[in-house]
Amino acid sequence: MQESAAPGAGVVIRTEDLWKTYDMGEAIAVHALCGVSFEIERGEYVAIMGPSGSGKSTLMNLIGCLDTPTRGNYWLNGHMVSELSDDELAYIRNKEIGFVFQTFNLLARASALHNVELPLIYNGTPAMERLEKAQEALAKVELADRMHHRPNELSGGQRQRVAVARALVNNPSIILADEPTGNLDSATGEEIMKLFDRLHEAGNTIVLVTHEHDIAAHALRILHIRDGKIDRDERVE
Amino acid sequence: MRDGPVPLRGAAKSAPRKGIEVGEGDQTRKSQPTARRKRLFGAWITAREAFWIAIEALRSHKLRSILTLLGVVIATTTLISVMSVVNGMNLYFQDRIANLGANTFILHQWQWAQGYESWLKARRRNKPIRLEEFEFLKASLPNYKNIGANAWIWGESDAKYKGKTLYEVELAGRTPNMIDIGQEKVELGRYFTESDYQHSAMVCFVGRDLVDEFFPTIDPIDKEITVRGANFRIIGVAGRIGTTFGQSQDKFVHIPLTTFQKLFVARPQLAVSIQAYDPKQMLVLEDEVRALMRARRQIPYKDDDTFGINASDTLMSAWHQLTGAIFAVTIGIVAVFMVVGGIVIMNIMLASVTERTHEIGIRKSLGARRRDILMQFIIESSVMAAAGGGIGVLLSFIISKIVDMVFTSSVPLNAVVIGLVLSTVVGLFFGIYPASKAARLDPIEALRTEA
Repeated sequence: MQESAAPGAGVVIRTEDLWKTYDMGEAIAVHALCGVSFEIERGEYVAIMGPSGSGKSTLMNLIGCLDTPTRGNYWLNGHMVSELSDDELAYIRNKEIGFVFQTFNLLARASALHNVELPLIYNGTPAMERLEKAQEALAKVELADRMHHRPNELSGGQRQRVAVARALVNNPSIILADEPTGNLDSATGEEIMKLFDRLHEAGNTIVLVTHEHDIAAHALRILHIRDGKIDRDERVE
Repeated sequence: MRDGPVPLRGAAKSAPRKGIEVGEGDQTRKSQPTARRKRLFGAWITAREAFWIAIEALRSHKLRSILTLLGVVIATTTLISVMSVVNGMNLYFQDRIANLGANTFILHQWQWAQGYESWLKARRRNKPIRLEEFEFLKASLPNYKNIGANAWIWGESDAKYKGKTLYEVELAGRTPNMIDIGQEKVELGRYFTESDYQHSAMVCFVGRDLVDEFFPTIDPIDKEITVRGANFRIIGVAGRIGTTFGQSQDKFVHIPLTTFQKLFVARPQLAVSIQAYDPKQMLVLEDEVRALMRARRQIPYKDDDTFGINASDTLMSAWHQLTGAIFAVTIGIVAVFMVVGGIVIMNIMLASVTERTHEIGIRKSLGARRRDILMQFIIESSVMAAAGGGIGVLLSFIISKIVDMVFTSSVPLNAVVIGLVLSTVVGLFFGIYPASKAARLDPIEALRTEA
């Protein structure tokens, strides 16, 4: 761990010259990210925007600790995560990150409640405490009355709200949403975005990955990615 | 209900606390003893989750699970069924053949339960035990509790009473003290006495079957039955012994040995029962009987005995040698079934991993570590195989019940335990490869896979 470079207490995410290179064989290397550096502070509401192929998915995977960079450093809430092993990354994902996916990614055979409980299961929370926290999280997304429904018994908007509750349940450092409205109609999408707005007002740090301007407009800061680099860091006042 | 949305304070409250944790990584977590306990507890929680996933998977794919488990079911059923039959035979042998009476051994022409070849040899070489030898032992043997003699008639003896006939009755001539040595108990009346013996009285002691056949409603005592053309007065009835190998053990007529000699066989071949005072004295007494018999028969010291001394323990060990062969064959068959069953389970688990790649991706994104996924799939295959074992146990209980009607079978507890443990271990072993494949999946790739 490079103590000298460690970020200050208010900084949740700090990347330093992140590179991600995919080796396609026969000496062809594709650079998905070419030296990305930025900082996100606690309580920020950031959108990462870019056209497809810009490297934003790769960046999201790195921020989400699903992947490790080829080169460069990444601190998440004080943890130097760019060099961690698989299981250590899993631990960080569980503790520090709440994912919200475009396709919801709920377990089809489990109830809403059980879906929300999952992150707690993987950090060994006792059953009673787990139930309490999951119910609380579902109440936050106004789905307390639907907790025993399975995903296929819920509407798209409700499913995404279950996913948000799941993201919240562990009190993560950041909520990382990947095109959270991509599979929803615009009215429902707007509802979900209002939910994110409220989460931000409540003090959560939110990182949105999107290619839609309407969605990005909810954020207070927009990182434009193009060809694996930060093209523009736009702050909305 | 509230009008507005529920405030979202919960998430924000703990944020400042997290800020302090700068630098806390896995290393510090591992070094704390409480963290270690927490991790063990966490493993228990994920194991429980894995267990429910396994049950859910079994329930949602009933037919597939049953077909998958066929191998394990057959293996477990075979194992337990064979163990039950052997156990039943052992119990029978122990109860009816090796149970010679308390602290009793039997001197006979040959050693029992020693296999066909050696029996043939012994039959040719050994001489039957004669009455003189019985009398000689009775007079010369020091310090025994009881010594009695028993002679049978081979072949069919039919018992008749007032036009009714009971076929294939065992007719035996015995000394009066055999009632104290053997297993028969007097239920009604009495056994024959020394006086009956001395006077070759025409009396008999019968098994329950004769009473059931001839005297279902009336008192059998003092009634006269005809066996092999001779009339005997019933003086006593034995308590019911039961059936083994589907054959009744209560179809016998005992008469005094002297009467037996007078009417049927003048020079009978005897089985001499010798009873010691306690188990420790048994061996001493056996040696004395052997020495006396060898001396009387003038057997050179290099030669083998020309008689057999049968004690419970030697009989049992001889018997176990015979049944051990059955076991060896069974173990081979069961091993083949288990391996086949295990491979089928492995195959289905590999399919299951492919099918649930997306789910694995979700779980990994939410913080499931490799060992969580590994455990999930290993527990699933183990639970599946254990369920197969359970089905096998149930089946073998049914089979055992049916077999017991025509032969003998009794499910021993250790067979059930072995069956369940073995099938679980097979599931565990053959689940390792698919599970490690699942655990090694890349979360990004897995998430990208269509559900």
